[in-house]
Amino acid sequence: MDTLLLARLQFAATASVHFLFVAVTLGLVTLLVGLQTAWVVTGNPRWERLTRFWGQLYVINYVLGIATGIVMEFQFGLNWSGLSRYVGNVFGAPLAIETLVAFFLESTFLGMWIFGWHRLRRGVHLALLYGVALTAYASAFWIMVANSWLQNPVGYEVRDGVAHLTDFSALLTNPALGMALGHVVSAALLTGGLLMAGISAWHLLRRTPDHDLFRTSLRIGVVTATLAISLVQGFGFAQFGPVLSVQPTKFGGTSPEAEALIAEWSARFGPGDYLPPTLANVGLGFMILIGLGLGLLWLLLPLLWRDWIIRLRFPLWLLMLAVPLPFVALILGWISREVGRQPWVAYGLLPVDQAVSPISGWLMAVSLIGFTLLLGTLAVTNWVLLARHAARGTADPALGRPPAQPAADDSRPEPAFA
Amino acid sequence: MELAWYALLGLFFAGYLVLGGYDYGVGLLLARGADPARRRAALNAVGPFFLGNEVWLVAAVGILFGAFPLLEGELLAGSYPAVLGALAGVILVTAGVQLRSRPASRWARAGWDRAITVGSLLAALGWGTVLAGLLQGVPLHADGHVAGVAHLFTPFAAATALAVVALVAAHGAAFLALRLPATEGDRLRPLARRLIVVAIIAVAAAAAVGLLSDRVRGAAQRPAVGVLLGVSLVAALLLARAALGRRRHGVAFAATAAALALPVVLVGATLWPYVLVSTVDPAASLTVADAAASAPTLRLLGWLALPLLPALLGFQAMCWWIFRGRTDSRAPVYW
Ligand code: HDD
Ligand code: HEM
Ligand code: HEM
Repeated sequence: MDTLLLARLQFAATASVHFLFVAVTLGLVTLLVGLQTAWVVTGNPRWERLTRFWGQLYVINYVLGIATGIVMEFQFGLNWSGLSRYVGNVFGAPLAIETLVAFFLESTFLGMWIFGWHRLRRGVHLALLYGVALTAYASAFWIMVANSWLQNPVGYEVRDGVAHLTDFSALLTNPALGMALGHVVSAALLTGGLLMAGISAWHLLRRTPDHDLFRTSLRIGVVTATLAISLVQGFGFAQFGPVLSVQPTKFGGTSPEAEALIAEWSARFGPGDYLPPTLANVGLGFMILIGLGLGLLWLLLPLLWRDWIIRLRFPLWLLMLAVPLPFVALILGWISREVGRQPWVAYGLLPVDQAVSPISGWLMAVSLIGFTLLLGTLAVTNWVLLARHAARGTADPALGRPPAQPAADDSRPEPAFA
Repeated sequence: MELAWYALLGLFFAGYLVLGGYDYGVGLLLARGADPARRRAALNAVGPFFLGNEVWLVAAVGILFGAFPLLEGELLAGSYPAVLGALAGVILVTAGVQLRSRPASRWARAGWDRAITVGSLLAALGWGTVLAGLLQGVPLHADGHVAGVAHLFTPFAAATALAVVALVAAHGAAFLALRLPATEGDRLRPLARRLIVVAIIAVAAAAAVGLLSDRVRGAAQRPAVGVLLGVSLVAALLLARAALGRRRHGVAFAATAAALALPVVLVGATLWPYVLVSTVDPAASLTVADAAASAPTLRLLGWLALPLLPALLGFQAMCWWIFRGRTDSRAPVYW
C-alpha cells in the first residue's frame, strides 16, 4: 500500500472535519460575545436566554473541534516526521506558539465559562468569554501563519539539508498570509451567521414558542452573514494576486513564471511532474459560484424592515436551504489551497514524498481507517445532537441552568448534590 | 537553553499525566456499574477542570514540535501503535465526557460512559507503552529513523502499561475521595486504598521486569537515579495509602499526583543526556541537544514563554481556586 497516498488522505479527511467544526466555533463565539455583552450591559434576561441557547450549540460543536484538532496535531509527528526533521525549526515555532498562546488559555477559559454560570460575577463570566473568543482568533492567526509558511516558505536558510529560522518577522508578513487570514475569518463569520439565521428561520417557520427570541437571532444572523459575505468576496478576489505571485504553478494554466520555476525545480530536484492536479481548480470554481450566489443575501437585508422577511416566509426557506453552502465552500477552498501546492509540503522546498514517515503501508492504513471511522462517527453523532438541541428551543438548555432547578431531562435528582 | 526546554517539556507532559490522569481514573471507575446518578456526580466532580486538564497534552506536543522537532517525528512515528492507541483513547474520553449528558436517554448515557471507560483504558495503556518504549531504547539507525514498531511489544512495555493503568485508577479514586461530598468521598476510601495497593504491586512488577531486561539496563545511563526515583514512586504510594487512612485526602491526592509525575522524571533523568537511546547503533543515539531545535528558534520561543508561562499557570490556578473544595448542591452540573 502506498504510505504517502494514505497519509495524504488521512490529513485531508481529518483537516476537513476539523475545519467544518472550527469555522462554526469561530463564527458563533463572535456572535456569543455580542449576546452576552448585551445581557451584562442591559441586564435583560432575554439576552441571557439567547446566550444560553446559542452557547449550548456552540459548546456541543466545540467538542469535535477539540477531538479532531488533537488528531491534527499528532498527525505531524505520526505521519509526517520528515516535516519536523527538515523544516521543524521554522514550521514548528508558530505551532508551538499557537498551543501555548491560544489553546491552553482557550480551554482553561472555556471550562470556567461553562461551569461559571451562577457562580462567578457577571463581569468575570463575560470576561472569560472574551478570553475564549480572543484566543480562538489567536489560534486562527497562528495556524494560518504556519499554513502560509508551507504555501510560501520565508525567513529561513538551509544548512546541512535542514531549514533554520533566520527572520521570524518574515513569517508574519508572508504575502500568502494576510488575505488568506481575512478570507478564512470572514468565511467563519459567514458560516456562523448563516447557521444562526437558518436555525432561527426554522423555528419561525414552525411557529414554535419564543417567536420573539428567534426573531432577534434571525436578524443578528442575517446581518452578520450579509456583511461577512462581502468580506469573503473581497478577501477572496484579493487572494489571487499574492497567491499567483508566490505560487505561479497553482491554478493551472502555463505562465512564463510557472515554466521558469518548473525548469528551476527540474534542475534542482530532478525532472518530475510539478503541476498540481486539475481537481483543485474545479473546486475553486464551485466555491466562487457559491460565494457569488450568497452575495444575494444583500437582497434579504431590506426585508428586515417591518419583519417582511418573516411575513413573506419564503426568505426563511431560502435561509434554511443556504445553511450547507458555506460548509461546502469551506472544504472546496481548502482543497484548492492544499492540493494546489502539490507535490510540495513546503512549496519549492520539501516534496511530499520526503516528508512522509517511513511507516509501513498497512499501519498507515489502519490509522487512516480507524481515525476516519472514529472521527466520522463522532462528527455525525455531534451533528445529530446539534440538530436535536437546535430543535428543542430556548426553554431549558443545560448550559447555565441554575443549580437549584431540577433538570428537566433527568428523572432523578443527583444524590451527590442532594 | 535546551535543558530549560527539556524541563518545560517534562513539566507539561507530567502535568498532563497528573491532571489528565485523574480524568482517566474517574473514567475507569465509571465501570463499577454504580447507578447513573453517581456516575454523573463523578464526572461533574471533574467538571470545570476537564478542559483545562487535557490541554496540557496539547501544549506538551506543541512544545515537542516547536523545541524538539527531531524528537517529535522519531518518537511519535517510532511508537506508532502506542501513540495511536493513546490518541484514540484521548478522543473517546474528550468526546464522551462532554457529550454524554446531551442525549436524555439513559441508554445513550450509559453507552457514552462505556466509551469513556474504554478511552481511559486506552490512554493509560498507550502512554505507559510510550514511556516504557523510551526507557528500553529504540532501534534508531544511522539514517536517523526508528525502524519498525516491533520493539514496542516487550514484557516490560506491557508491565509498564498495566502499571500506569493501576496508577491512574488509584489517582482517580483519591481525587474523588477528595472532591465528592464528604459522605460519598468516605464511601470511596476503602476502594482507593485497595487500588493503591494494586498500583504498588503493578509498579513493583514493572520495575522487576525492567531490571531483568537487558534492553532496559543497556539503555539506562544513570541506573542509580532510576532506581532511586522508582523507590520514591512506591514511597509516594505508601504515603497516599497512609494519608487516606487518616482522612488526609489532600495529602493522599498530592501523593498519588506525585506518583504520576515521577515516571516522567524517571525516564528523563535515567536516560540523560540522551532522549532516544539506540539499541542497534550506539552512535545513532540522540541527545537532548541533538534533538533540540536550533538556537534562533529556541531563543524566539524562550522570549515568548517567559512572560506567558506565569499567565498560563496563573489562569489554571484561578480555575482550581474558584472551583475548589467538595462539590455540593450548589455545584454546577453540565457533563
Ligand atoms: C464560506 C466559505 C467560502 C466562500 C463563500 C468563498 N471562499 Fe474562498 N476559500 C475559503 C472559503 C470560502 C476557505 C476555506 O476559507 C479558503 C481555503 C484557504 C483559505 O485561505 O481560504 C478559501 C480559499 C480561496 C482561494 C485559494 C487561495 C490559495 O489557494 O492559496 C481563493 C483564490 C479564494 N478562496 C477566492 C474566493 C472567491 C473569489 C470567492 C467568492 C466570491 C470565495 N473564495 C468564496
Ligand atoms: C492551516 C493549517 C493547515 C496546515 C498547516 C496544513 C498542512 C498540511 C499538510 C502537512 C499536509 C500533508 C502534506 C501534503 O499532502 O501536502 C496537508 C494536506 C492536505 N490538507 Fe492541509 N493543512 C492545514 C489546513 C487544512 C484544512 C483546514 C483543510 C481542509 C480541507 C486542508 C486540506 C488538506 C488536503 C485536502 C490535503 C491533501 C492534499 C494532497 O495531498 O493532495 N488542510 N495539509
Ligand atoms: C494543521 C492544522 C491544524 C492543527 C494541527 C490544529 C490543531 C488544533 C488542536 C490541537 C485543537 C484543540 C485545542 C484544544 O484542545 O482546545 C484545535 C482547535 C481549534 N482549531 Fe485547529 N488545528 C489546525 C487547523 C486549524 C485551522 C485551519 C483553523 C482555522 C483557521 C483552526 C482553528 C481552530 C480553532 C478556532 C480551535 C478551537 C475551537 C475548537 O476546538 O473548536 N485550526 N486545533
